Amino acid sequence: MTDKPGTSEAMIRFRGAGVTYPNGVVGLEGIDLTIQRGEFVVIVGSSGAGKSTLLRSINGLTPLTAGEIEVAGVAVPRRQGRELRRLRARIGMVFQDFRLVRRLSVLSNVLIGRVAYVPTWRSVLNLWPRAEVELAMSALERVGIVDKAYVRAGQLSGGQQQRVGIARALAQAPEVILADEPVASLDPVTSHQVMEDLLRINRELGITTIVNLHFLDLARRYGQRIIGLQQGKVVYDGSGSEVTDEDFRRIYGRRPGEDDFLQEPAA
Amino acid sequence: MSRPAPPPRQLGLTLGVIAVLATMTLWSAHGIGFSVSELVCNAAGGSRLLRESWPPDFAFLPRLIGPFLETLHIALIGTVVGAIIAIPVAVLAARPVSPNWLTWIIDRNFMNILRTLPDLFWAMLFATAVGFGPLAGALALSVFSVAVISKLFSESVEAIDMHLPEAVRACGGSWLQMVGLGALPQVWPQYAAYVMYSFELNVRGSMVLGLVGAGGIGMILETQRANFEYERVTMIILSVLVVVLLIEQVSASVRRRLA
Repeated sequence: MTDKPGTSEAMIRFRGAGVTYPNGVVGLEGIDLTIQRGEFVVIVGSSGAGKSTLLRSINGLTPLTAGEIEVAGVAVPRRQGRELRRLRARIGMVFQDFRLVRRLSVLSNVLIGRVAYVPTWRSVLNLWPRAEVELAMSALERVGIVDKAYVRAGQLSGGQQQRVGIARALAQAPEVILADEPVASLDPVTSHQVMEDLLRINRELGITTIVNLHFLDLARRYGQRIIGLQQGKVVYDGSGSEVTDEDFRRIYGRRPGEDDFLQEPAA
Repeated sequence: MSRPAPPPRQLGLTLGVIAVLATMTLWSAHGIGFSVSELVCNAAGGSRLLRESWPPDFAFLPRLIGPFLETLHIALIGTVVGAIIAIPVAVLAARPVSPNWLTWIIDRNFMNILRTLPDLFWAMLFATAVGFGPLAGALALSVFSVAVISKLFSESVEAIDMHLPEAVRACGGSWLQMVGLGALPQVWPQYAAYVMYSFELNVRGSMVLGLVGAGGIGMILETQRANFEYERVTMIILSVLVVVLLIEQVSASVRRRLA
């Protein structure tokens, strides 16, 4: 999958990347990774291992304190500014808690994905150009909830809200989608649906996708490539079909238990 | 398991607080020459005033409509102008969204100054600038509204869920877009409620300002009082009561619906 002709170019490259928080806590340390264009990568690790920090460093929400990250050949700026905004516009993000404006319509929420492409006054006054609305609508179609376009986001179920979250990311027409524990607030059935959506979008549109997961069965099932983090360092990097229980034990620093699986382990 | 002993009653503290409050009250009464006996002796004058004030002069009612409208106009202009200016003032004074520390501290102090000075002071200030009249009143109430709304609203903005603004940032949004799309949509209902509340205050405020010449119902009240037309004064007070209660009812029901 990663070697589709013409797609084997580096999308994201970490070089000695590290994050030390102001309180001295080390979030990431000495990360060297290359993620190819079009890859679907799952990042696993116990909580506090640095999964979120890794994702958030890619779009600069958490600035690096060491090393650098390149996205499509552009170094992620450490400071706020036009350059960083331009980069973020190309990177969609999906959050565990959906992060929708519950009072606003689904469509308005998805249009937020277009902020970087319209004048501030138009976006703030909710006077979106027709072309932008069209993009948002087709993003909603892709996740199958276009019928809810004018419903208040807060009235949807959790799974539907996460689809709106994905549609917002899609509306950006991004090259990369970062999903930070996208199914952690969802029930098992909905979790699979959302993961299927992400995988389908990755395949159909070739958007490089990085998903943080803490359920091992989901990681194994959807991760074409699995990266294991432990205490801010990469301790595993391999294909999802080959990852063994022993690998998971190494990543977690303990024997994986019931809580590490979405459903009862088959074995 | 043994039951816990009841905590000791703080009798000393209670008595102490009462003693302090009583001392302060007596001291204040002495300071302004407040005495119950004098009050009783002067009751005769008061009752004469009351007798002259009844019945209310209903024939005067039609002549109140114009001034009432003027009062409402002053209050409305003050509220609208104030409500618009209050938005940026409140946002810049809300810690999590304020762009930097310097802006925050400057704006905070600006708000404090606005709030410390009473609306009457602003009315005097604007009266020297544009002359006594409704315009000075409306300007004074604009400042007053900025003070009221920005204080309440900035506290609402400080309490928002900052995850949403971050999501706007993550899409490549600018600071303005973060505020306008991520922060403010969470607090528009509160904002509307504060604007309504400010309008209520402004209706009352514009009557007070009328007393010092800003026009409207307050001015009529003052001229009738100065002419000893107490039956008309009663009429004015009654109608003010009705209008204020009416506005409060409408405002309260709108705010309930917004909550």
